[in-house]
Amino acid sequence: MLTERRGLEASKSRSKIMVVDDDSDLRQALSLRLRANQFETIGACDGYSAIAMALKEKPQLIILDLGLPAGDGFVVLKNFQQYPALAGIPVIVLSARDPEANERRTIEAGATAFFQKPADNEELLGVIRACLQTGWGWGGDKPS
Amino acid sequence: MNESELMHCGMEECRWAGCGPDCPNFLRKGKRGIKEEIPAYILLVTDKPGDADLVRLRLVDSKFRVNCVSGLSEALVCLQLETPTLILLDPSLGDKDGTRAIRRIMETAPSVPVVILSGLDDDEMAVKAVRQGCQDYLVKSEVTCKHMERSIRYAVERKQLMQALEATRKQQLDFKDQFLSHVSHELRTPLTCIYQYVTLLLDGLAGPLEPNQMDHLRAVLKSVNQLQAMIRDLLEATRADSGKLRVEQRCIEIRELVQQAAEMMRPTAVEGRVRLEVKLDQSMPLVYADPDRTLEVLINLIDNAIKFTPPEGLVTVKASTVETDPSAVYLSVCDSGCGIPREALPKVFERLYQDPNAVDGNRNGLGLGLYIAREIVTMQGGRMWVASEPGSGSTFSFTLPFYSMAKLLSPVITYQGRMREDIVLVRVDLTPLSKALRGSWKEVCQRSLELLRRCIYVDRDLILPPMETEGASQTFFVVASVDLNKANILMERIREQVGGLAKLKASGTLRVTAEAIPGVRVSESRTLEQQVWGVADQVTELIQRGRQRGSWNETSRNEVGKGELQNAN
Repeated sequence: MLTERRGLEASKSRSKIMVVDDDSDLRQALSLRLRANQFETIGACDGYSAIAMALKEKPQLIILDLGLPAGDGFVVLKNFQQYPALAGIPVIVLSARDPEANERRTIEAGATAFFQKPADNEELLGVIRACLQTGWGWGGDKPS
Repeated sequence: MNESELMHCGMEECRWAGCGPDCPNFLRKGKRGIKEEIPAYILLVTDKPGDADLVRLRLVDSKFRVNCVSGLSEALVCLQLETPTLILLDPSLGDKDGTRAIRRIMETAPSVPVVILSGLDDDEMAVKAVRQGCQDYLVKSEVTCKHMERSIRYAVERKQLMQALEATRKQQLDFKDQFLSHVSHELRTPLTCIYQYVTLLLDGLAGPLEPNQMDHLRAVLKSVNQLQAMIRDLLEATRADSGKLRVEQRCIEIRELVQQAAEMMRPTAVEGRVRLEVKLDQSMPLVYADPDRTLEVLINLIDNAIKFTPPEGLVTVKASTVETDPSAVYLSVCDSGCGIPREALPKVFERLYQDPNAVDGNRNGLGLGLYIAREIVTMQGGRMWVASEPGSGSTFSFTLPFYSMAKLLSPVITYQGRMREDIVLVRVDLTPLSKALRGSWKEVCQRSLELLRRCIYVDRDLILPPMETEGASQTFFVVASVDLNKANILMERIREQVGGLAKLKASGTLRVTAEAIPGVRVSESRTLEQQVWGVADQVTELIQRGRQRGSWNETSRNEVGKGELQNAN
């Protein structure tokens, strides 16, 4: 319970987080967890709608799966870098894929962090808070 | 012999593909087959002038192109220019039994079949050659036209078959890797969902729960964690099988690592009502090992020990040096559990070994943990073994090599049999601006290291293996065999290259400092080895001192030490 309260204090104005995953159950569970930690959430189920929704909703942070229909996570990351409006948003990749083969590749593609599923809740929330405090992804142009 | 004869043996029922060894024209057609696919070119390697004629005479009917060279080195050059269909080799070229000649030829052209053409009828030598990978062994005085032709033809076919077989084997291994990686990915996805919902319920985010409901969910969570560990082990074991397990050895403090492992396992010990003790030698040398992997091994061993120890039992983790072995630290995990039956001792490190005495029935994982642990230790240059007395417990021990600075330094600070005169230790500090984020900062450090590698001279400078540091900041040490002026140039280059890294500018600071290694003077009373040791000790001491004080500059007395760059924004 402690965590939840801490979340409340940390973010007076609620940050908006977009969860991109084709598994709707997982999307819902993650959103529930995030909302319990005082974040606002939106969801997208494929690469195409992820980009469209990010442009429309301007989330402060994105949690991204790699295996997605209509353009996988790497395509999404590449697209984010091309839109100035999206390039600075920190992206946390949350994927079941092997970190040895994918961690470095995702970071190079512009992601801020890589987590292998299932990721520990506390660890994931810790990095989300750190990203939001810094304000901008390290891959982006805008300084902190 | 006209073209149609070559194409077809003339028998009505015989077709090109179906024509077999029984067909009288089989060899001729086969020969044509070779010619069409690859122009048959025989490289004959012999220093006996008569041999070339002999071979040409024997093959006159077969239209093979024969090229004769008289020496091994000449043959190796020829192999670079054109790949022959087959190599005929006189084994007396290299040494007495031709082992060396055969090895050199096969290393240079692994895909070309080799047939031995010897003057001696020596069965032992023949078997040896074939075991080395030669396709056939021909005796000059016995070989007839037909015999030689057939031998060549079969050798080519056999080699092709062998290569196809090898390719298939590789393909299967790759497939196994891909399959397991795919399966583990697919298994992780639903597992994540279970984990998420169970933790949601446990954290009360879906409403309050009765205490017994919480207990049930905790059992689910425990199983989820076990399943996750199994999937991880499965992948790791496959990697170990195919030699793809990765270890990144660094210079580490083993005492800290053992303490950390013990602390991480303490809750499990408390849960099992087992006492967990740590016994460490007062001072331990630095160890050359992968910290994450070694922690994994320690946790694995401690976890096992707790599992097989009844309540009120004792598990002891020890780290010590042994007088009889001056190159390794000894680590051991000792339990007061049921022990391992004598006949099972050799099997415990095997894949899929399950202890029949396990308390928790079938819930002990895949039986891959110890196998992986031993692989990790072996890859780091250590070894692992077990001693056990049934009824009074088991001790799993392993060694890890010392971090030998002298061994590392020797190639760059000695030159043409003597010491270089000036040696400078350059320290490159990377410090993140804010609390480091997983991945991104690691990436910055990795990129910096790559850039750093480009700044140094390979034969004169050396980047020491990265040190374990507290927190996220990263320090690289470069030992440069240059004088102070040149060290300044090197530092400038590092500042330019590493400091120019855009990601570093955005996320951290760079500091480059240097200190000369004093007292490196050629002395006649000391051997070169002793001098290397002397320098190594000084470098180690400098690094240690810097680590203890946190900052290096306080100790710095040198001109170069002032060179410093803050790269924050």
